[in-house]
Amino acid sequence: MHGFVRLNDWEMAIVSEPAFQRLRRIKQLAWTDYIYPGAVHTRFEHSLGVMHTATMLYDAIVRNSKDILTTELAYDDTGIQRYRQLVRLAALTHDVGHAPFSHAAEDLFPINEDTQDLYRHEDYSAAIVKSCLRSAIEDHPLANNYGFTAEDVAALIEGTARAKQGLFWRDIISGQMDADRMDYLLRDSHHTGVQYGRFDLDRVIDTMQATPALPERPPRLGISEGGWHAAEALVIARYFMFTQVYFHKTRVAYDIHLKGALKQILPGGVFPKPREQELKDFLSWDDWRVLGELSAGRGGEHGERLRTRNHFRRIYATNEICNEGDLSELDRVKNELGGLIIAEESAAKSWYKTGTPDIAVVQEESGRIRPLSQYSNVIANLRSNNQVLLYVKPEHVAAGRKSVEEAVKKHD
Amino acid sequence: MTEQMTRIAVITALAEKTPQLGRTSLMKLCYFLQVLRSVPLGYRFSLYSYGPFDSDVLADLDSATALGGVSSSLVSYFHTYGYKIEPGPKAQYIQARSSKFLDAHRAAIDWVVDKFGSMSASELELKSTLIYCDREAKAKKERISLSELCSRVHDVKPHFTIDQIRLAAEELIQQDVLFTKI
Repeated sequence: MHGFVRLNDWEMAIVSEPAFQRLRRIKQLAWTDYIYPGAVHTRFEHSLGVMHTATMLYDAIVRNSKDILTTELAYDDTGIQRYRQLVRLAALTHDVGHAPFSHAAEDLFPINEDTQDLYRHEDYSAAIVKSCLRSAIEDHPLANNYGFTAEDVAALIEGTARAKQGLFWRDIISGQMDADRMDYLLRDSHHTGVQYGRFDLDRVIDTMQATPALPERPPRLGISEGGWHAAEALVIARYFMFTQVYFHKTRVAYDIHLKGALKQILPGGVFPKPREQELKDFLSWDDWRVLGELSAGRGGEHGERLRTRNHFRRIYATNEICNEGDLSELDRVKNELGGLIIAEESAAKSWYKTGTPDIAVVQEESGRIRPLSQYSNVIANLRSNNQVLLYVKPEHVAAGRKSVEEAVKKHD
Repeated sequence: MTEQMTRIAVITALAEKTPQLGRTSLMKLCYFLQVLRSVPLGYRFSLYSYGPFDSDVLADLDSATALGGVSSSLVSYFHTYGYKIEPGPKAQYIQARSSKFLDAHRAAIDWVVDKFGSMSASELELKSTLIYCDREAKAKKERISLSELCSRVHDVKPHFTIDQIRLAAEELIQQDVLFTKI
């Protein structure tokens, strides 16, 4: 993907930790290899790729906007070196909290009592950084040169006040033009064998910059005018990868089965919490362990469907961008199918869902800031995919098709 | 779709009630609804240099636009730009589909619009960051003084002076929405 990815001794020590090596046993795209057989890559190489890409983005922004960083954020050369290393470690470790098979099983994270919402994989990553990886981060001799702690790395991953002005860099870890997205689009495209995820990474990186500070508007990440076509291609690549890979009807079906099987396999039907006393247990869950459980015949009906490749079938799909008529038809189809519907999946709930990004483009001579959508007619008209898929059991396909036909006919 | 339709209905209601709704103000009003009034929108906000943010809000805005619940237009200034979000032709239809949810949370929506709906994007960024840092301290069971809270926010948003941050914090304390006290 990127040629040589270089690591210093400190980063090598972190990579050698069992909590990081576990990522070798977590596939990036879950059961996608049932559709695209080459998609067997893991979070391990993706994490190295994100660190590498984040570093290239960081260096380009410093190169293109050093005056803004110096005057507006008061960075000197030492600060620039310090944040560079902090960004590298945050990028390297941002995914250590993934559950087996990556995003597919995140609905089985437990409830966070503070937010009354499910924990996120970032919560696990931050907790692992602060516990299992703490010693590797804080006790290495190279750490003495930078003076930051495991908490500082975690703050950039989670997005907490502790990150202070470092939050400026959070957009390249987790933002609209982040290193994570740039790496996974290219990597997933390469491994699935589709061309949709390709864009000009070098051009995007080369044109990244900080936006000039304005009254009441501090600098943010943006792209110089010369890079807007490359940024447009990145956004479109994401849109296509969503429709063709991430929200592929059969891939979505296998996510349903994985979730169903894990619900039966996990004690209590949920993963352990990201608390120090439960993290060891959480980290013991990886793809190998789940596959062992499935191989031993566990996971109920869903486990059986995964073993025999006998997945639920998509019986109905709305348009990718729903309008009022689509919603009415969906209501009628659901009504007609009734109890035959075994699952309903919405693109809006997918981790990979697409939105229209608000990417700032900086005019080269005037320094004026305009949104990418003002340059690109394609982006201006791009809408979030909010498609809904309905599934039935394989033995109900014929009856289901008949019901769908009836429902659609009612309108005609 | 059901959960998203509910959120889209809330966005449509905010567009109807807020005189100058832009993307930043929409983001922060959703944050206030969820955090200060416990409206279960299901967003997952985390902190950026521009305050609490969740890209799902923008994805929902997109879908609201596609469904005709709102219309969004670009507003150009000399140096920069903003957005104007207004009710769309299908605003009533979208709200009618989630009328039960909206009825249950109408008072919360009115409260948020009343307290924060006329503020500038910059003011909303500051106040939402104050609330985020305050809630974060509470979640970590830290008891912090007002000065400490202002100092933390200043570290995140140094383009505001400590005096500006303190003034905004005092206004929030008067509204009884901060755990930190004077």
